Amino acid sequence: MLDLYLFQLLNGLGLGMIYFLIAVGLTIIFGLLNFVNFAHGAFFLLGAYLCYTAVALTGNFWLALLIAPLAVAALAWVVERLLIKRIYHLPHTFQILVTLGIALIIQEASVLIWGPVGKHIAVPPELRGVLIVGDFIYPYYRLFLIGFAALIGVGLWLLLERTRFGALVRAGSESTETVSLLGTNIFRLFSLTFALGVGLAGVAGVLFAPLRGAQPFVGPEILGIAFVVVVIGGMGSFGGALVGGLLVGVVQSMMTSLWSQGASLMIYGAMAAVILVRPYGLFGRA
Amino acid sequence: MTDKNPLAVAKGHGHALLLLLIVSLIGLPLILPSATLATEILIFGLAALACNLLLGYTGLLSFGQGIFFGAGAYGAALLMIHLHWGMLGALVGAALFGALLALLVGALAIRRKGIYFVMLTLAFSQMAYFLAYTLSGWTGGDNGLLDVPRPNIEIAGHVLVDLADPRHFYAFVALLFLLIFAGALRVIRSPFGSTLMAIRENETRAAAIGYDIRHFKILVFMLSGAITGIAGALYAMLLHFAPLSNIDLMMSENILIMTIVGGTGSLFGSLLGAGAIVMLGDVLSELWPRWLMLLGVILILVVVFMRGGLWGGLADLVKRLQPSRALDAKTKETL
Repeated sequence: MLDLYLFQLLNGLGLGMIYFLIAVGLTIIFGLLNFVNFAHGAFFLLGAYLCYTAVALTGNFWLALLIAPLAVAALAWVVERLLIKRIYHLPHTFQILVTLGIALIIQEASVLIWGPVGKHIAVPPELRGVLIVGDFIYPYYRLFLIGFAALIGVGLWLLLERTRFGALVRAGSESTETVSLLGTNIFRLFSLTFALGVGLAGVAGVLFAPLRGAQPFVGPEILGIAFVVVVIGGMGSFGGALVGGLLVGVVQSMMTSLWSQGASLMIYGAMAAVILVRPYGLFGRA
Repeated sequence: MTDKNPLAVAKGHGHALLLLLIVSLIGLPLILPSATLATEILIFGLAALACNLLLGYTGLLSFGQGIFFGAGAYGAALLMIHLHWGMLGALVGAALFGALLALLVGALAIRRKGIYFVMLTLAFSQMAYFLAYTLSGWTGGDNGLLDVPRPNIEIAGHVLVDLADPRHFYAFVALLFLLIFAGALRVIRSPFGSTLMAIRENETRAAAIGYDIRHFKILVFMLSGAITGIAGALYAMLLHFAPLSNIDLMMSENILIMTIVGGTGSLFGSLLGAGAIVMLGDVLSELWPRWLMLLGVILILVVVFMRGGLWGGLADLVKRLQPSRALDAKTKETL
């Protein structure tokens, strides 16, 4: 029985790390660009589908793990340049609506390209099999998932805290005008940050694909979960996205063993509880 | 939200608008191939109008309208199936249920402002969907709620109006639409409505004057929930069916898109938006199942190029066609 809980706890951590990657991308974009990307779930979806195609073409999951997020980020960069750049001067409502439009287009295009039925993506051969410690059995892929996502998280933290680019993003989140006045091409920074944030959703989509496959209508569900994470953890906070993501992942995973139908319901219940007790999130300030 | 002077909306020509509406309500079934399609337009027009009260007049972007639409559909259907309530009772029940849920969602979501409010409405929309999915004993889950009746209007067992005829049902829905539209118009032009617009224009200032912002927001949320609930109930009666998709996030997004395409901040625009999207869906969904993609494109085009929506576009057109009158108005102003 205890093994089952440990199993679900580890599953929850893996799921939580995926939620962290999605939410932290959302948060970085919001921090600098000041709008919520409602196409985030759709880009996640695209990551999973591109992973499917890359694996189908090359037969190599590792190559897919590299190519698919880069392709998603590249598309995001183009979309930002062509479309989102034109609407920075408008109120946030309009920016949300444009990203909602993008989300619909990506979702429907995915169905057109890959069909309405989900695609299965195999676990890479190197990670098939299970780890056995005494009575405890755990799949390698899920362990890899936790480790890899943690690696990306550390890399991202170093990028934001230790590089010139990261310093600009952080400074821009405080005041885009000041950064712009100091001679930085702020629009280039916007494009790169949007691509980076969306690319993280793409990574999450690829990592998630061997677990649940690529499903055409998963976008809104992922978006909803990402919002729960940032509402709990607070928007614009790296640590908040991490703790919020892990919390939501673990709650969802633990609930699956207790009441499988209500697992999705419970994470929203958790969000409502946090809003009631601490309206500004666990780490938020008023 | 809009660039217009907020008072411009408050003045306007109320009687002309109602006359235009009455003409449209009479003309709609004559132009369209079926009364059922016309009824569907009015039902979504109601939902978009309710969404507009939030978005256009209070500046609240809600991704939760599907909650109230679905709740109205399920609520009315359950009242009619299990308790054998009549038409009017079911509609009142749906309105109350919608308002109650709006109170619950509103009380939580309104604790946060701006972007968080928007995200919370979306999260609650997802929650309502999973709730409806889980409570399959009541809602039928994935299969939806079947055999929803469409009761006639009766007095003491005597049938007053037979609503099984699609044309009669259209007339009934049109009358309801007219009443709710006129009511919404009154609300907007009341001091309550002016306060909502003050909140839209500058929330901090409205609070500084002494208005309890949260109180006003929750009230308009409940009003919107009630109207959307009625729309959901009528939709279930129209289809004789309450599918799970009624409470899906896509429903919230559809209602929002109709509102924006029609014109935010214009009640008549909501009917235009609903008409355009419902007709587009009616024509395209058979030919091209992925027509939602086009909806995404339309949404982006409207936001980038035509922020006033169809109503704003028509107003511009009328202005351009009557250059002399516009000039007259200008000269009058200078005089």
